[in-house]
Amino acid sequence: MSKNENFVFQALHVIAWVIFVGLCIETGGLVVNFIVSLYKPAFVQNLYQKLDLSEMYQRSEWAYFSMYTFILTISVLKAYLFYLLIQLLDKLDLSNPFNSLVSERISKIANCTFSIGILSFIAHQTAQNLQHRDYVIDSLDQFWVDSEAFILMSAIIYVIATIFKKGVEIQTENDLTI
Amino acid sequence: MPIIVNLDVMMARRKMSLNELSEKVDLTLSNLSILKTGKAKAIRFSTLEAICKALNCQPGDILEYVDDSES
Repeated sequence: MSKNENFVFQALHVIAWVIFVGLCIETGGLVVNFIVSLYKPAFVQNLYQKLDLSEMYQRSEWAYFSMYTFILTISVLKAYLFYLLIQLLDKLDLSNPFNSLVSERISKIANCTFSIGILSFIAHQTAQNLQHRDYVIDSLDQFWVDSEAFILMSAIIYVIATIFKKGVEIQTENDLTI
Repeated sequence: MPIIVNLDVMMARRKMSLNELSEKVDLTLSNLSILKTGKAKAIRFSTLEAICKALNCQPGDILEYVDDSES
């Protein structure tokens, strides 16, 4: 079964590319907003996806920059995650799937997913901390609502990565069995 | 590795080239080369049988055990 004949892989590849492009656009928008807000603070009330952090900015610039750094980092990591997925789908050869490149990619995906989950969790806790100090943070929940899902996914991918590493070892031994 | 493959020694004694041996045992040159250079992790009995038959020798003529501490 070659990759091209497998409709699921083709569909996954297309979907991954679409999501990757969307995430790149989002990350790019967030980066541009961040840079512009450094020079024009008035821009803070009309950020990406109509995000208004002007009240937070006026009360504490530190709170604004730390929250925005979380948002930006998580967005970059999500785009990188899908970049890794696209690379994996490109390099995966179903006739010989157990090779070190694929194993390394899966490990990187596990690490990236875990980073997103942990960062999202920390950002969520920080945002809740700010909420206790009467900051308005409802509009930020959309950026880290799924932190537990990412942590769970990273655990599953880590198990798969471990099994794959073992598979690569067995494959290598098989290749060197005459 | 403690197991040493003396394939080149037997091939020299029987005056057989790698190409000839690969044709006789139905193994690719790259696989025979892996075996000859000691990079192989394992050898199947069927392969060992074919090599012994082609070189008219015993498995002990091709495989030698050397303790790591001695070497």
